[in-house]
Amino acid sequence: MTAGLRHEGADQQLLSPGVGLVRGLPLAGTLMVEGSIVGELDVLGVLHVLVAPAGTRGSVEPTPLRLGERAVGHGDALVTLLPASLAEAGAGPADTTSSRDLGKLVFRSPLSGRYYARPGPDRPDFVRPGDEITTGQSVALLEVMKTFNRLTYGGPGLPERARVVAVLIRDEADVEIGAPILELEPV
Amino acid sequence: MIVLASGQVRMPTPRSFHRLFVANRGEVAVRVAVACDQLGITPVFGVSEADRDAPWVRHRESVCLGPARATQSYLDVARVVQAARQSGCTALHPGWGFLSENPLLAGLCEQHGVTFIGPPAHVMHQMGRKIPAKRAMAAAGLQLIPGSDGVLRDADEARAVAERIGFPVLLKANSGGGGRGMRIARSLDEVAPAYADAQAEARAAFGDERVYMERLLEGGRHIEIQIIADRWGNVCHLGERDCTVQRNHQKLLEESPSPMLDPSVRAENLAAAVKAARSIGYVGAGTMEFLLDTSSPGPAVLRFMEMNTRLQVEHCVSEVRSGIDLVHEQIRVAAGNRLSFRQDQVELRGHAIECRINAEDPADNFRPAPGCITRWEVPSGPGIRVDTHVEAGYVVPPHYDSLLCKVITFAADRDAAADRMLEALGQLHCEGVPTTVAMHQQILASAAFREHRYDTRTIPGFAGAKGNL
Repeated sequence: MTAGLRHEGADQQLLSPGVGLVRGLPLAGTLMVEGSIVGELDVLGVLHVLVAPAGTRGSVEPTPLRLGERAVGHGDALVTLLPASLAEAGAGPADTTSSRDLGKLVFRSPLSGRYYARPGPDRPDFVRPGDEITTGQSVALLEVMKTFNRLTYGGPGLPERARVVAVLIRDEADVEIGAPILELEPV
Repeated sequence: MIVLASGQVRMPTPRSFHRLFVANRGEVAVRVAVACDQLGITPVFGVSEADRDAPWVRHRESVCLGPARATQSYLDVARVVQAARQSGCTALHPGWGFLSENPLLAGLCEQHGVTFIGPPAHVMHQMGRKIPAKRAMAAAGLQLIPGSDGVLRDADEARAVAERIGFPVLLKANSGGGGRGMRIARSLDEVAPAYADAQAEARAAFGDERVYMERLLEGGRHIEIQIIADRWGNVCHLGERDCTVQRNHQKLLEESPSPMLDPSVRAENLAAAVKAARSIGYVGAGTMEFLLDTSSPGPAVLRFMEMNTRLQVEHCVSEVRSGIDLVHEQIRVAAGNRLSFRQDQVELRGHAIECRINAEDPADNFRPAPGCITRWEVPSGPGIRVDTHVEAGYVVPPHYDSLLCKVITFAADRDAAADRMLEALGQLHCEGVPTTVAMHQQILASAAFREHRYDTRTIPGFAGAKGNL
């Protein structure tokens, strides 16, 4: 199991990825990087090794020594990491969020919910880049409050026919109302 | 009862729990917590990240189960049982929806020393699979709806069964409930797409994509019988509920007694339901759902559809009529006590109506509407009960169902209860998200509702969009 990571100013916190009894946490001063063993999580008697996620860098903050096991919930802090004082303060995590041109033609989600690109797991996607779509055509499923809604292409400002340039949402991701789903170009 | 040498009589202390894990969210979490408070039990809530700061966990103990997505939090059996154990709970209430009818949860609780508040895992397993449930109920003397003999293997078998039993047909999820994973097919061409859609929804909602088929009986009324049983073989019913007012198999309004049920049919089926529950070794609260079939000539027949092995949303309707607290009884019975009453002590009085207020827009085809509630005022007064988890400032998350609150009214007869409901709904103010209040007002004021001119297909008095999505 991979632990979660939260940034608290310059410090980092490694978070429990589940519910269970955690033990074997690293001692104060231990240098933690991606792949370091954080400890063990006991879930109904099954031990899961907890591994530090990508981006982890720091030394374990000194805290009163806690022996034995501790009950944690999902997202609870396991250890706090202080910035590593080593010289190799390498390249920071370059956040490469793709900044797309906002002036482009996009089809937006009419509702907040979970996006499904396919009608079923063993079925092809509704649309793929390069496809031509017309008004009324199904482009995705949106699960809102446990109800499946078919999203059909169309809306104010959108042409009758368009070509899909890119699908902007990953399958099964959560989308907010108004979030761009498809990038389009007129045909 | 212990009789001491002095002649004094001492009742044994009823067994109970100190700490109880609430493996659910929203309205039912509040309902269980209220019962815990009254019984002197400390509730501990399992919550997802989205509900971490929800009003019902304020000043309460809680364990975060996982991310907002239910499959990784409320539906993750191992996380739920581990959370119950590590928080020192000796009992677990599953509420409704989520894992409430999951025998795996019941079994895992048993293995790890946590008392599951519900029937034994094997009974749940039997009744959860719709086919064995129907066989068991038929053996106990209840009438069934014609359908497939078991789960459908593929779309071809679905087509073959549909042709045999006749159109229209209804595809239903084997592990289903609450109207999820159901699709109608009216012709042979519609069977394969309906089969695929039902499977997809069943997989997402229950993690089990198996579906079966029944002949769709159109125009019937949905009637259900509330059962409560202890581990000592005592089984009682709390009368029936009529849940005919629905949309797309989602119940909107429930009432008790059913205005359409013939007294002899009622008595016969209540007795048969109790017998059936006893025959399968049922424990706890459960509901047998029937369709009042008026399509065949002769008197209307109650046909068994399925049993819900859990507390239901509309249990309050039976509570206000009987004066019995079903959640108290569930907890007491799970602790090994006998039911606190006998059947002959159950007195069902008056008429009760419940309206489910959802965060949906009836004018826009019941579009679910998550969002922030800016104003929230609920009615109160004699004969009015409101069960809710909502308050002003609460943000309805998009991840879960849309129930905001239930308003229950009680009066001497049906018209008086409906009038009281109209009064109560007039005092309910919700701003920030659209609700179904106006729709309920239209229903209750309509001649169609008052004169019983409706069935499961039509929402009486409601002119807005309806039907299947």
